[in-house]
Amino acid sequence: MKTMFSSLRDGRGFDVGLVAFPMGFLFLLSGLPLLYNVVMSVQEVDMFSLGSFARPFVGLKNYATLFSQPETWPILKNTAIFVVASIAGQFLIGFGLALFFWNEFPGASWLRGLFLVSWVMPGLVVGAIWNWILSGDFGVLNYVLRSVGIISGNIFWRSDPNFALWAVIIANIWLGISFNMILLSVGLSSIPKDLYEAAELDGAGAWARFRTITLPMMRATIGAVVSLGLIFTLQQFDLFAAITSGGPNNASNVAQYWAWDLSFRQYDFAQGATISVIMIVFVMIASVIYVRSTRQEVRG
Amino acid sequence: MTAQIELSQVNKHYGAYHALKDINLTIEKGSFVALVGPSGCGKSTLLRSLAGLEKITAGRLTIAGAEMTAVPPRKRDIAMVFQSYALYPHMTVEENLIYPLRMRGVSKTNAKAKAQEVAGFTGLSGLLTRYPRQLSGGQRQRVAMGRAVIRSPKAFLFDEPLSNLDAALRVSMRKEIRALHDRLGATSVYVTHDQIEAMTMADHVVVMRDGVIEQQGAPLTLYDRPENRFVAGFIGSPAMNFIAARAVDGASIALDLPGQPVIAVDRKGAAPLAPGQAVTAGLRPEHLRIVDGESGSDHQAFTLPVRLIESTGSLTYLSLGDTGDISLVEHGREHLRPGDRLTLTIDPGLVHLFDPETGRRV
Repeated sequence: MKTMFSSLRDGRGFDVGLVAFPMGFLFLLSGLPLLYNVVMSVQEVDMFSLGSFARPFVGLKNYATLFSQPETWPILKNTAIFVVASIAGQFLIGFGLALFFWNEFPGASWLRGLFLVSWVMPGLVVGAIWNWILSGDFGVLNYVLRSVGIISGNIFWRSDPNFALWAVIIANIWLGISFNMILLSVGLSSIPKDLYEAAELDGAGAWARFRTITLPMMRATIGAVVSLGLIFTLQQFDLFAAITSGGPNNASNVAQYWAWDLSFRQYDFAQGATISVIMIVFVMIASVIYVRSTRQEVRG
Repeated sequence: MTAQIELSQVNKHYGAYHALKDINLTIEKGSFVALVGPSGCGKSTLLRSLAGLEKITAGRLTIAGAEMTAVPPRKRDIAMVFQSYALYPHMTVEENLIYPLRMRGVSKTNAKAKAQEVAGFTGLSGLLTRYPRQLSGGQRQRVAMGRAVIRSPKAFLFDEPLSNLDAALRVSMRKEIRALHDRLGATSVYVTHDQIEAMTMADHVVVMRDGVIEQQGAPLTLYDRPENRFVAGFIGSPAMNFIAARAVDGASIALDLPGQPVIAVDRKGAAPLAPGQAVTAGLRPEHLRIVDGESGSDHQAFTLPVRLIESTGSLTYLSLGDTGDISLVEHGREHLRPGDRLTLTIDPGLVHLFDPETGRRV
């Protein structure tokens, strides 16, 4: 004990302490639940065995059961559509806005800051607001689309199986735009201005400069934004709870909402855990891409 | 000689700040022009205006006879070497070199062949597959120059390209840039705050201050016959000594030093001085000569105490006078100690005289 304190005092071992504290915290509050989740996915779990850890081992039976259910593939497909469409929308609009505010017109940074408001709003509040906007009879979105002449009759966004998933995607894109924009703005502002001047003198027009300077210099940032976007969209739960609750008839159900539904409403913890494990794999892939893209930053 | 770049009555304002004031400058084809001056004098702004990176507020610019005042940079056919080099960090040396050609629609095969050739004479042959971050400062400098010369533009602009290099490399790159200029027969405009660079590299030196051209001409003309006190003090190292003086008669002055020594000046055809007229005498440190104590009775001589001795081995720098603000450079070594009194003399033809009010040469 005495040697431990002295090593803390003279600085040796202090680094170990600094690392050990957050590592312990992460292991206790993230690592253990993760492992527990993986263990549950290979066990038979019901309401009565929930309290004990020693439950019957069933191997991959839960996975087999999961994929034999008729709703599994449609829900995984919904998840894929939700993730791809959300990230594409958030990224493209966010990048467009970042490029727009990069022009440094009067008030640009101030306006850009205001966009963060959408990101600090709780998902449930955003969901409630979008419920009004998307409302079939008196929603603003239908009104606008009708006025412009795109649709002739009202779309019942939340209850029409063809549109329910897209209702959540639209809300999720809105929620994620500002985060994408801020991160991409930081990336843009870190590109040295003289590269553009050199490219201009070398004969590059606006589009050529974007293609040969901006995009390659933004590769690391884009990788980070897209992989963080994948993680955040796979986490998105509040909007489903607030807007469609996964309905109608699973038309807007996605893996993360389904896992919660199975575990905490149908009390099928094993199935819920199984879905979560599948999602962990995807998040891990995204994390690896994220870590790699931030490590390989281009330096001049 | 024909004019390659012509500026007439060029002005640049940044809001209320007047950065360039009525600049008139003609740059001959094939010449090497240095823009020199202290920081904030407008030399970089002038260079960037030539490139089109800054819009000139008023005036006219022509390059090779064509009106270029409002033409965007990429259509001016001008290449620039930046202070930071501005190499594309995500491209290899070869990709950096061929970029200006590719942007002008040259095929990849032809561009690569040209890159090989340029790499040959810029000393980059073995480095074509490297990235800029894997290069030393001098190598990056060469890539920046290679990228500029590869497409044979109408003019090369250099914006303090050597300021990020160490002293030894700076001297050798100085020669390389000048050799490259001669080899290509190009027109070059070179911005620097270092008057040694300007004097050694350029055919024509333009000295600027506060957005105004103070004087332009051949390097040695600026040294031998500075038009005003600013140019006199800026060109030459160590800087010229300025001593208040008063005319005794048409061709001699009394320096405002202890004993009011009188020295002769050679007016070289200029109007004789009016007796009693106040002037500032400019004496270059390298023109002051130490004479033996015995010849101290010489009409031209005056005596000053030594304050500080700095020797580099080949040269000795002396600070003289009660406050040590008169400097002198001597070749070889001087066995002196602070407090020793030195008798000095100067050739009447090497004394510069300026008006104390306006700073103009009289």
